[in-house]
Amino acid sequence: MHIPDAFIPIWQGAIYWIIALVFIALALKWARNEMNEEKLPLVAVLAAGIFALQSFNLPVSMGTSGHLVGGALAAIILGSPFAAIFILTLVLIVQAVLFGDGGITTLGTNIINMGVIGGFVGFYTFRGLMGVSKNMPVSVFFAAWLACLIPALCCAVEMFVAGTFPLMEGLVAMGIYHAIIGVIEGFVTVAAVYLIATARPDLIDSGVVAPAGA
Amino acid sequence: MIEELFQIERDAYRDSIVHRIDARVKIVIAFAAIIALVAVPYSDRDMVYTVGAFFFVFFCLLWCCTNLSFGVYLRRIWAIVPLWGIIILFQVFFRNKYYTDYHVVMSLPLGISIYAESIEFATILFVKFLVCISFIILLSSTTKMHEMLEGGARMGMPAEFALALGMMIRYLFVFGYMYRKVNETLATKCFDVFDRHLPYRYRLRQLGYTIGTMFIRSYEQGERVYTSMLCRGYGRESYLFFERKPLRAGEWAFLSVSLLFIITIPFAVWLTSFRLV
Repeated sequence: MHIPDAFIPIWQGAIYWIIALVFIALALKWARNEMNEEKLPLVAVLAAGIFALQSFNLPVSMGTSGHLVGGALAAIILGSPFAAIFILTLVLIVQAVLFGDGGITTLGTNIINMGVIGGFVGFYTFRGLMGVSKNMPVSVFFAAWLACLIPALCCAVEMFVAGTFPLMEGLVAMGIYHAIIGVIEGFVTVAAVYLIATARPDLIDSGVVAPAGA
Repeated sequence: MIEELFQIERDAYRDSIVHRIDARVKIVIAFAAIIALVAVPYSDRDMVYTVGAFFFVFFCLLWCCTNLSFGVYLRRIWAIVPLWGIIILFQVFFRNKYYTDYHVVMSLPLGISIYAESIEFATILFVKFLVCISFIILLSSTTKMHEMLEGGARMGMPAEFALALGMMIRYLFVFGYMYRKVNETLATKCFDVFDRHLPYRYRLRQLGYTIGTMFIRSYEQGERVYTSMLCRGYGRESYLFFERKPLRAGEWAFLSVSLLFIITIPFAVWLTSFRLV
Protein backbone atom coordinates (compact mmCIF):
# COMPACT_ATOMS: atom_id res chain seq x y z
CA MET A 1 0.00 0.00 0.00
CA HIS A 2 3.08 2.25 0.23
CA ILE A 3 3.03 3.78 -3.28
CA PRO A 4 6.62 4.54 -4.36
CA ASP A 5 7.90 7.43 -6.47
CA ALA A 6 7.21 7.26 -10.21
CA PHE A 7 3.83 5.52 -9.84
CA ILE A 8 1.92 8.82 -9.57
CA PRO A 9 2.58 11.75 -11.99
CA ILE A 10 4.16 14.74 -10.31
CA TRP A 11 1.11 17.02 -10.68
CA GLN A 12 -1.21 14.45 -9.13
CA GLY A 13 1.31 13.87 -6.35
CA ALA A 14 1.31 17.63 -5.72
CA ILE A 15 -2.50 17.67 -5.41
CA TYR A 16 -2.42 14.77 -2.93
CA TRP A 17 0.35 16.57 -1.03
CA ILE A 18 -1.80 19.73 -0.72
CA ILE A 19 -4.76 17.71 0.58
CA ALA A 20 -2.49 15.82 2.97
CA LEU A 21 -0.99 19.10 4.23
CA VAL A 22 -4.46 20.32 5.22
CA PHE A 23 -4.96 17.21 7.36
CA ILE A 24 -1.39 17.37 8.69
CA ALA A 25 -2.12 20.96 9.80
CA LEU A 26 -5.27 19.73 11.58
CA ALA A 27 -3.27 16.90 13.16
CA LEU A 28 -0.70 19.46 14.33
CA LYS A 29 -3.54 21.49 15.86
CA TRP A 30 -4.68 18.32 17.64
CA ALA A 31 -1.11 17.77 18.85
CA ARG A 32 -0.87 21.34 20.19
CA ASN A 33 -4.17 21.05 22.06
CA GLU A 34 -4.23 17.41 23.10
CA MET A 35 -0.65 16.18 23.20
CA ASN A 36 0.14 17.08 26.77
CA GLU A 37 3.28 16.17 28.66
CA GLU A 38 2.05 12.69 29.47
CA LYS A 39 0.77 11.93 26.01
CA LEU A 40 3.92 12.83 24.08
CA PRO A 41 5.88 9.71 25.09
CA LEU A 42 2.83 7.59 24.26
CA VAL A 43 2.56 9.18 20.80
CA ALA A 44 6.26 8.58 20.15
CA VAL A 45 6.04 5.02 21.44
CA LEU A 46 2.93 4.34 19.35
CA ALA A 47 4.69 5.70 16.25
CA ALA A 48 7.72 3.49 16.86
CA GLY A 49 5.38 0.63 17.77
CA ILE A 50 3.37 0.90 14.56
CA PHE A 51 6.64 1.02 12.65
CA ALA A 52 7.63 -2.22 14.39
CA LEU A 53 4.18 -3.75 13.87
CA GLN A 54 4.45 -3.13 10.15
CA SER A 55 7.60 -5.29 10.29
CA PHE A 56 5.66 -8.36 11.47
CA ASN A 57 4.77 -10.35 8.38
CA LEU A 58 1.40 -12.01 8.68
CA PRO A 59 0.62 -15.15 6.66
CA VAL A 60 -2.15 -14.57 4.08
CA SER A 61 -2.31 -17.55 1.73
CA MET A 62 -0.36 -19.34 -0.99
CA GLY A 63 2.94 -18.29 0.62
CA THR A 64 2.11 -14.57 0.48
CA SER A 65 2.20 -12.28 3.48
CA GLY A 66 1.15 -8.79 4.47
CA HIS A 67 1.60 -6.43 7.38
CA LEU A 68 -0.58 -4.39 9.68
CA VAL A 69 -1.36 -0.74 8.91
CA GLY A 70 -2.10 0.35 12.46
CA GLY A 71 -4.25 3.42 11.72
CA ALA A 72 -7.29 2.06 13.57
CA LEU A 73 -5.16 0.94 16.50
CA ALA A 74 -3.65 4.41 16.95
CA ALA A 75 -7.01 6.17 16.57
CA ILE A 76 -8.76 3.84 19.03
CA ILE A 77 -6.03 4.01 21.68
CA LEU A 78 -5.58 7.79 21.47
CA GLY A 79 -9.27 8.52 20.91
CA SER A 80 -8.95 10.70 17.80
CA PRO A 81 -8.54 10.19 14.04
CA PHE A 82 -6.11 13.12 14.04
CA ALA A 83 -3.85 11.13 16.36
CA ALA A 84 -3.72 8.45 13.67
CA ILE A 85 -2.83 11.08 11.04
CA PHE A 86 -0.11 12.53 13.27
CA ILE A 87 1.39 9.13 14.08
CA LEU A 88 1.10 7.66 10.59
CA THR A 89 2.72 10.80 9.16
CA LEU A 90 5.74 10.24 11.40
CA VAL A 91 5.88 6.55 10.50
CA LEU A 92 5.55 7.17 6.76
CA ILE A 93 8.21 9.90 6.77
CA VAL A 94 10.70 7.55 8.42
CA GLN A 95 9.77 4.67 6.11
CA ALA A 96 10.07 6.82 2.98
CA VAL A 97 13.27 8.67 3.87
CA LEU A 98 15.19 5.87 5.55
CA PHE A 99 13.94 2.69 3.94
CA GLY A 100 12.58 3.76 0.57
CA ASP A 101 9.26 2.17 1.52
CA GLY A 102 6.87 4.62 -0.14
CA GLY A 103 8.05 7.63 -2.12
CA ILE A 104 8.76 11.30 -1.49
CA THR A 105 6.48 12.66 -4.23
CA THR A 106 3.86 10.08 -3.21
CA LEU A 107 4.18 10.66 0.53
CA GLY A 108 1.08 12.88 0.48
CA THR A 109 -0.88 10.08 -1.20
CA ASN A 110 0.30 7.52 1.34
CA ILE A 111 -0.54 9.84 4.26
CA ILE A 112 -4.04 10.34 2.84
CA ASN A 113 -4.56 6.58 2.39
CA MET A 114 -3.17 5.16 5.60
CA GLY A 115 -3.32 8.13 7.96
CA VAL A 116 -6.39 10.15 6.93
CA ILE A 117 -8.67 7.48 5.45
CA GLY A 118 -7.38 4.70 7.72
CA GLY A 119 -7.65 6.88 10.81
CA PHE A 120 -11.11 8.32 10.08
CA VAL A 121 -12.60 5.02 8.87
CA GLY A 122 -11.12 3.13 11.83
CA PHE A 123 -12.13 5.64 14.48
CA TYR A 124 -15.68 6.38 13.34
CA THR A 125 -16.46 2.74 12.52
CA PHE A 126 -15.34 1.87 16.02
CA ARG A 127 -17.36 4.70 17.59
CA GLY A 128 -20.48 3.87 15.56
CA LEU A 129 -20.36 0.15 16.24
CA MET A 130 -19.60 0.67 19.94
CA GLY A 131 -22.63 2.93 20.16
CA VAL A 132 -24.86 0.34 18.54
CA SER A 133 -23.51 -2.98 19.77
CA LYS A 134 -21.54 -2.07 22.93
CA ASN A 135 -19.31 -4.97 21.94
CA MET A 136 -15.64 -4.03 22.04
CA PRO A 137 -14.13 -6.98 20.13
CA VAL A 138 -16.68 -6.75 17.28
CA SER A 139 -16.32 -2.97 17.02
CA VAL A 140 -12.52 -3.05 17.01
CA PHE A 141 -12.45 -5.93 14.54
CA PHE A 142 -14.65 -4.22 11.94
CA ALA A 143 -12.94 -0.87 12.49
CA ALA A 144 -9.51 -2.40 11.84
CA TRP A 145 -10.80 -4.47 8.90
CA LEU A 146 -12.36 -1.45 7.17
CA ALA A 147 -9.34 0.72 8.00
CA CYS A 148 -7.23 -1.78 6.09
CA LEU A 149 -9.59 -2.44 3.18
CA ILE A 150 -10.83 1.08 2.32
CA PRO A 151 -7.34 2.67 2.03
CA ALA A 152 -6.27 -0.24 -0.20
CA LEU A 153 -9.24 0.39 -2.53
CA CYS A 154 -8.42 4.10 -2.56
CA CYS A 155 -4.84 3.20 -3.45
CA ALA A 156 -6.14 1.17 -6.43
CA VAL A 157 -8.28 4.12 -7.57
CA GLU A 158 -5.35 6.54 -7.26
CA MET A 159 -3.13 4.27 -9.34
CA PHE A 160 -5.89 4.04 -11.96
CA VAL A 161 -6.18 7.84 -12.06
CA ALA A 162 -2.39 7.97 -12.39
CA GLY A 163 -2.62 5.53 -15.31
CA THR A 164 -0.24 3.03 -13.75
CA PHE A 165 -2.71 0.20 -13.05
CA PRO A 166 -6.12 -0.68 -14.53
CA LEU A 167 -9.13 -0.01 -12.29
CA MET A 168 -10.93 -3.35 -12.18
CA GLU A 169 -7.78 -5.46 -11.87
CA GLY A 170 -6.46 -3.08 -9.20
CA LEU A 171 -9.71 -3.08 -7.21
CA VAL A 172 -10.03 -6.86 -7.40
CA ALA A 173 -6.37 -7.56 -6.53
CA MET A 174 -6.07 -4.94 -3.78
CA GLY A 175 -9.61 -5.62 -2.52
CA ILE A 176 -9.22 -9.40 -2.16
CA TYR A 177 -5.69 -9.20 -0.80
CA HIS A 178 -6.45 -6.52 1.78
CA ALA A 179 -9.82 -8.03 2.71
CA ILE A 180 -7.81 -11.08 3.83
CA ILE A 181 -5.07 -9.01 5.48
CA GLY A 182 -7.83 -6.90 7.03
CA VAL A 183 -9.27 -9.97 8.75
CA ILE A 184 -5.85 -10.72 10.21
CA GLU A 185 -5.39 -7.05 11.12
CA GLY A 186 -8.83 -7.15 12.77
CA PHE A 187 -8.00 -10.19 14.91
CA VAL A 188 -4.58 -8.89 15.86
CA THR A 189 -5.92 -5.40 16.67
CA VAL A 190 -8.67 -6.91 18.85
CA ALA A 191 -6.07 -9.00 20.69
CA ALA A 192 -3.76 -5.99 21.12
CA VAL A 193 -6.53 -3.61 22.29
CA TYR A 194 -7.99 -6.32 24.56
CA LEU A 195 -4.60 -6.95 26.15
CA ILE A 196 -3.89 -3.23 26.64
CA ALA A 197 -7.42 -2.57 27.99
CA THR A 198 -6.97 -5.44 30.43
CA ALA A 199 -3.42 -4.72 31.57
CA ARG A 200 -3.27 -0.91 31.27
CA PRO A 201 -6.78 0.56 30.84
CA ASP A 202 -5.40 4.02 31.71
CA LEU A 203 -3.61 4.14 28.34
CA ILE A 204 -6.79 4.07 26.26
CA ASP A 205 -8.60 7.35 25.58
CA SER A 206 -11.61 6.11 23.62
CA GLY A 207 -13.47 4.51 26.51
CA VAL A 208 -12.66 0.90 25.62
CA VAL A 209 -12.95 -1.43 28.59
CA ALA A 210 -12.07 -5.10 28.65
CA PRO A 211 -15.09 -7.40 28.84
CA ALA A 212 -16.01 -8.54 32.33
CA GLY A 213 -14.10 -11.52 33.60
CA ALA A 214 -10.94 -10.62 31.77
CA MET B 1 12.39 -3.66 7.52
CA ILE B 2 13.32 -3.45 11.17
CA GLU B 3 16.28 -5.79 10.64
CA GLU B 4 17.68 -3.24 8.19
CA LEU B 5 17.52 -0.51 10.82
CA PHE B 6 20.76 -1.52 12.50
CA GLN B 7 22.65 -2.06 9.24
CA ILE B 8 21.56 1.32 7.84
CA GLU B 9 22.70 3.10 10.98
CA ARG B 10 26.03 1.22 10.93
CA ASP B 11 26.53 2.39 7.32
CA ALA B 12 25.58 5.95 8.29
CA TYR B 13 28.18 5.96 11.09
CA ARG B 14 31.03 5.35 8.65
CA ASP B 15 33.22 8.22 7.55
CA SER B 16 33.62 9.67 4.09
CA ILE B 17 33.44 12.98 2.31
CA VAL B 18 29.72 12.35 1.60
CA HIS B 19 29.04 11.32 5.20
CA ARG B 20 30.54 14.61 6.43
CA ILE B 21 28.30 16.80 4.25
CA ASP B 22 25.53 18.57 6.17
CA ALA B 23 22.28 16.58 6.21
CA ARG B 24 20.32 19.52 4.75
CA VAL B 25 22.47 19.48 1.60
CA LYS B 26 21.95 15.75 1.10
CA ILE B 27 18.21 15.98 1.78
CA VAL B 28 17.76 18.81 -0.73
CA ILE B 29 19.84 17.07 -3.42
CA ALA B 30 18.09 13.70 -2.99
CA PHE B 31 14.60 15.25 -3.00
CA ALA B 32 15.45 17.51 -5.95
CA ALA B 33 16.73 14.58 -8.02
CA ILE B 34 13.61 12.53 -7.24
CA ILE B 35 11.22 15.38 -8.04
CA ALA B 36 13.08 16.24 -11.25
CA LEU B 37 12.99 12.66 -12.53
CA VAL B 38 9.37 12.04 -11.53
CA ALA B 39 8.46 15.30 -13.32
CA VAL B 40 9.73 13.94 -16.66
CA PRO B 41 6.55 12.88 -18.49
CA TYR B 42 5.86 9.19 -19.12
CA SER B 43 5.07 10.04 -22.72
CA ASP B 44 8.70 10.88 -23.63
CA ARG B 45 10.46 7.53 -23.30
CA ASP B 46 13.86 8.65 -24.56
CA MET B 47 13.88 11.67 -22.28
CA VAL B 48 13.18 9.44 -19.25
CA TYR B 49 16.02 7.12 -20.24
CA THR B 50 18.44 9.99 -20.88
CA VAL B 51 17.69 11.96 -17.72
CA GLY B 52 17.58 8.70 -15.74
CA ALA B 53 21.01 7.69 -17.07
CA PHE B 54 22.55 11.10 -16.22
CA PHE B 55 21.07 10.99 -12.71
CA PHE B 56 22.20 7.40 -12.18
CA VAL B 57 25.77 8.30 -13.18
CA PHE B 58 25.57 11.24 -10.74
CA PHE B 59 24.39 8.84 -8.03
CA CYS B 60 27.19 6.37 -8.84
CA LEU B 61 29.81 9.13 -8.58
CA LEU B 62 28.47 10.13 -5.17
CA TRP B 63 28.25 6.49 -4.05
CA CYS B 64 31.91 5.96 -5.02
CA CYS B 65 32.80 8.75 -2.58
CA THR B 66 30.97 7.11 0.34
CA ASN B 67 33.47 4.30 1.08
CA LEU B 68 30.50 1.93 0.92
CA SER B 69 30.66 -1.05 -1.41
CA PHE B 70 28.19 -1.51 -4.24
CA GLY B 71 27.23 -4.74 -2.46
CA VAL B 72 25.62 -2.60 0.26
CA TYR B 73 23.64 -0.75 -2.40
CA LEU B 74 22.60 -3.95 -4.15
CA ARG B 75 21.50 -5.58 -0.88
CA ARG B 76 19.29 -2.59 -0.09
CA ILE B 77 17.91 -2.49 -3.62
CA TRP B 78 17.12 -6.19 -3.35
CA ALA B 79 15.16 -5.54 -0.15
CA ILE B 80 13.02 -2.84 -1.79
CA VAL B 81 12.59 -3.70 -5.46
CA PRO B 82 10.92 -7.16 -5.52
CA LEU B 83 7.41 -6.12 -4.36
CA TRP B 84 7.04 -3.15 -6.69
CA GLY B 85 9.13 -4.94 -9.28
CA ILE B 86 6.29 -7.46 -9.59
CA ILE B 87 3.77 -4.64 -10.08
CA ILE B 88 6.05 -3.10 -12.72
CA LEU B 89 6.34 -6.53 -14.36
CA PHE B 90 2.54 -6.86 -14.48
CA GLN B 91 2.40 -3.67 -16.56
CA VAL B 92 3.39 -5.66 -19.65
CA PHE B 93 -0.07 -7.31 -19.66
CA PHE B 94 -2.09 -4.09 -19.39
CA ARG B 95 -2.95 -1.21 -21.68
CA ASN B 96 -2.74 2.25 -20.17
CA LYS B 97 -3.85 5.75 -21.03
CA TYR B 98 -0.41 6.92 -22.20
CA TYR B 99 -0.57 5.10 -25.54
CA THR B 100 -3.28 4.96 -28.18
CA ASP B 101 -2.01 2.16 -30.44
CA TYR B 102 -0.94 -1.19 -29.06
CA HIS B 103 1.01 -3.91 -30.85
CA VAL B 104 0.85 -7.46 -29.56
CA VAL B 105 4.26 -9.01 -29.00
CA MET B 106 3.02 -12.29 -27.59
CA SER B 107 -0.41 -13.86 -27.15
CA LEU B 108 -0.99 -16.05 -24.13
CA PRO B 109 -3.90 -18.33 -23.16
CA LEU B 110 -7.08 -16.84 -21.62
CA GLY B 111 -6.91 -13.84 -23.92
CA ILE B 112 -3.85 -12.36 -22.21
CA SER B 113 -1.42 -10.46 -24.44
CA ILE B 114 1.91 -8.78 -23.98
CA TYR B 115 2.14 -5.42 -25.77
CA ALA B 116 5.26 -3.66 -27.05
CA GLU B 117 4.00 -0.33 -25.67
CA SER B 118 3.28 -1.88 -22.26
CA ILE B 119 6.82 -3.27 -22.09
CA GLU B 120 8.07 0.22 -22.90
CA PHE B 121 5.92 1.75 -20.16
CA ALA B 122 7.10 -0.86 -17.64
CA THR B 123 10.70 -0.01 -18.51
CA ILE B 124 10.01 3.71 -18.04
CA LEU B 125 8.49 3.02 -14.62
CA PHE B 126 11.41 0.80 -13.66
CA VAL B 127 14.03 3.40 -14.64
CA LYS B 128 12.26 6.14 -12.66
CA PHE B 129 11.68 3.86 -9.67
CA LEU B 130 15.28 2.58 -9.59
CA VAL B 131 16.89 6.01 -9.76
CA CYS B 132 14.54 7.48 -7.12
CA ILE B 133 15.20 4.58 -4.74
CA SER B 134 18.95 4.92 -5.35
CA PHE B 135 18.96 8.52 -4.10
CA ILE B 136 16.99 7.50 -0.98
CA ILE B 137 19.52 4.73 -0.32
CA LEU B 138 22.36 7.23 -0.74
CA LEU B 139 20.72 9.67 1.67
CA SER B 140 19.92 7.14 4.38
CA SER B 141 23.22 5.23 4.11
CA THR B 142 25.31 8.36 4.60
CA THR B 143 23.22 10.37 7.09
CA LYS B 144 22.68 9.46 10.73
CA MET B 145 19.05 9.54 11.82
CA HIS B 146 19.55 12.31 14.36
CA GLU B 147 21.39 14.39 11.75
CA MET B 148 18.48 13.92 9.39
CA LEU B 149 16.11 15.07 12.14
CA GLU B 150 18.29 18.11 12.90
CA GLY B 151 18.46 18.90 9.20
CA GLY B 152 14.67 18.67 8.90
CA ALA B 153 14.14 20.85 11.98
CA ARG B 154 16.58 23.48 10.67
CA MET B 155 14.67 23.54 7.37
CA GLY B 156 11.40 24.37 9.12
CA MET B 157 9.83 21.10 10.21
CA PRO B 158 7.13 21.93 12.84
CA ALA B 159 8.45 21.67 16.41
CA GLU B 160 5.77 19.14 17.39
CA PHE B 161 6.88 16.82 14.63
CA ALA B 162 10.57 17.31 15.43
CA LEU B 163 10.03 16.52 19.11
CA ALA B 164 7.86 13.45 18.49
CA LEU B 165 10.11 12.27 15.65
CA GLY B 166 13.19 12.63 17.86
CA MET B 167 11.61 10.46 20.53
CA MET B 168 10.28 8.03 17.95
CA ILE B 169 13.76 7.51 16.50
CA ARG B 170 15.08 6.62 19.97
CA TYR B 171 12.26 4.13 20.45
CA LEU B 172 12.86 2.58 17.05
CA PHE B 173 16.07 1.07 18.33
CA VAL B 174 14.40 -0.05 21.56
CA PHE B 175 11.76 -1.72 19.42
CA GLY B 176 14.44 -3.16 17.18
CA TYR B 177 16.05 -4.93 20.13
CA MET B 178 12.65 -5.93 21.49
CA TYR B 179 11.61 -7.25 18.08
CA ARG B 180 14.74 -9.40 17.97
CA LYS B 181 14.12 -10.68 21.50
CA VAL B 182 10.47 -11.48 20.74
CA ASN B 183 11.50 -13.34 17.60
CA GLU B 184 14.18 -15.25 19.50
CA THR B 185 11.66 -16.14 22.22
CA LEU B 186 9.13 -17.35 19.66
CA ALA B 187 11.86 -19.36 17.92
CA THR B 188 12.93 -20.88 21.26
CA LYS B 189 9.35 -22.07 21.72
CA CYS B 190 9.52 -23.51 18.17
CA PHE B 191 6.69 -21.14 17.23
CA ASP B 192 6.59 -20.40 13.54
CA VAL B 193 3.81 -18.12 12.33
CA PHE B 194 3.92 -19.84 8.92
CA ASP B 195 3.72 -23.37 10.41
CA ARG B 196 0.55 -24.92 8.97
CA HIS B 197 0.54 -27.66 11.61
CA LEU B 198 -0.50 -25.06 14.18
CA PRO B 199 -4.15 -23.90 14.24
CA TYR B 200 -4.54 -20.60 12.41
CA ARG B 201 -6.46 -18.94 15.26
CA TYR B 202 -3.75 -19.97 17.71
CA ARG B 203 -1.07 -18.36 15.50
CA LEU B 204 -3.06 -15.11 15.21
CA ARG B 205 -3.76 -15.03 18.96
CA GLN B 206 -0.05 -15.44 19.70
CA LEU B 207 0.78 -12.62 17.29
CA GLY B 208 -1.90 -10.38 18.83
CA TYR B 209 -0.60 -10.98 22.35
CA THR B 210 2.96 -10.44 21.19
CA ILE B 211 2.03 -7.12 19.62
CA GLY B 212 0.02 -6.06 22.69
CA THR B 213 2.92 -7.00 24.94
CA MET B 214 5.29 -4.95 22.79
CA PHE B 215 3.00 -1.94 23.17
CA ILE B 216 2.75 -2.27 26.93
CA ARG B 217 6.45 -2.84 27.40
CA SER B 218 7.30 0.07 25.14
CA TYR B 219 4.84 2.36 26.91
CA GLU B 220 6.38 1.44 30.23
CA GLN B 221 9.75 2.29 28.70
CA GLY B 222 8.15 5.58 27.59
CA GLU B 223 6.97 6.25 31.14
CA ARG B 224 10.47 5.74 32.48
CA VAL B 225 11.84 8.14 29.86
CA TYR B 226 9.07 10.62 30.68
CA THR B 227 9.93 10.52 34.38
CA SER B 228 13.59 11.10 33.55
CA MET B 229 12.61 14.02 31.32
CA LEU B 230 10.54 15.58 34.12
CA CYS B 231 13.55 15.29 36.41
CA ARG B 232 15.58 17.26 33.87
CA GLY B 233 13.09 20.09 33.69
CA TYR B 234 10.95 19.00 30.76
CA GLY B 235 7.61 20.79 30.42
CA ARG B 236 4.71 21.24 28.00
CA GLU B 237 6.38 24.18 26.29
CA SER B 238 9.70 22.35 25.83
CA TYR B 239 11.03 21.86 22.34
CA LEU B 240 14.22 20.35 21.01
CA PHE B 241 16.89 23.00 20.67
CA PHE B 242 18.93 23.01 17.50
CA GLU B 243 21.67 25.59 17.38
CA ARG B 244 22.13 27.57 14.20
CA LYS B 245 24.60 25.91 11.89
CA PRO B 246 25.40 27.79 8.68
CA LEU B 247 26.54 25.72 5.73
CA ARG B 248 30.25 25.86 4.93
CA ALA B 249 31.49 27.34 1.66
CA GLY B 250 32.26 23.87 0.26
CA GLU B 251 28.75 22.67 1.10
CA TRP B 252 27.19 25.71 -0.58
CA ALA B 253 29.35 25.06 -3.65
CA PHE B 254 28.42 21.36 -3.76
CA LEU B 255 24.75 22.15 -3.25
CA SER B 256 24.76 24.82 -5.97
CA VAL B 257 26.58 22.66 -8.54
CA SER B 258 24.37 19.64 -7.79
CA LEU B 259 21.14 21.62 -8.05
CA LEU B 260 22.34 23.27 -11.23
CA PHE B 261 23.03 19.81 -12.67
CA ILE B 262 19.70 18.38 -11.51
CA ILE B 263 17.71 21.30 -12.93
CA THR B 264 19.74 21.81 -16.10
CA ILE B 265 19.85 18.22 -17.35
CA PRO B 266 16.07 17.70 -17.78
CA PHE B 267 15.64 21.17 -19.32
CA ALA B 268 18.61 20.67 -21.65
CA VAL B 269 17.35 17.26 -22.77
CA TRP B 270 13.85 18.68 -23.24
CA LEU B 271 14.97 21.73 -25.23
CA THR B 272 17.53 19.96 -27.39
CA SER B 273 17.10 16.78 -29.35
CA PHE B 274 19.91 15.09 -27.46
CA ARG B 275 18.94 11.56 -26.47
CA LEU B 276 21.11 8.68 -25.33
CA VAL B 277 18.75 6.13 -26.89
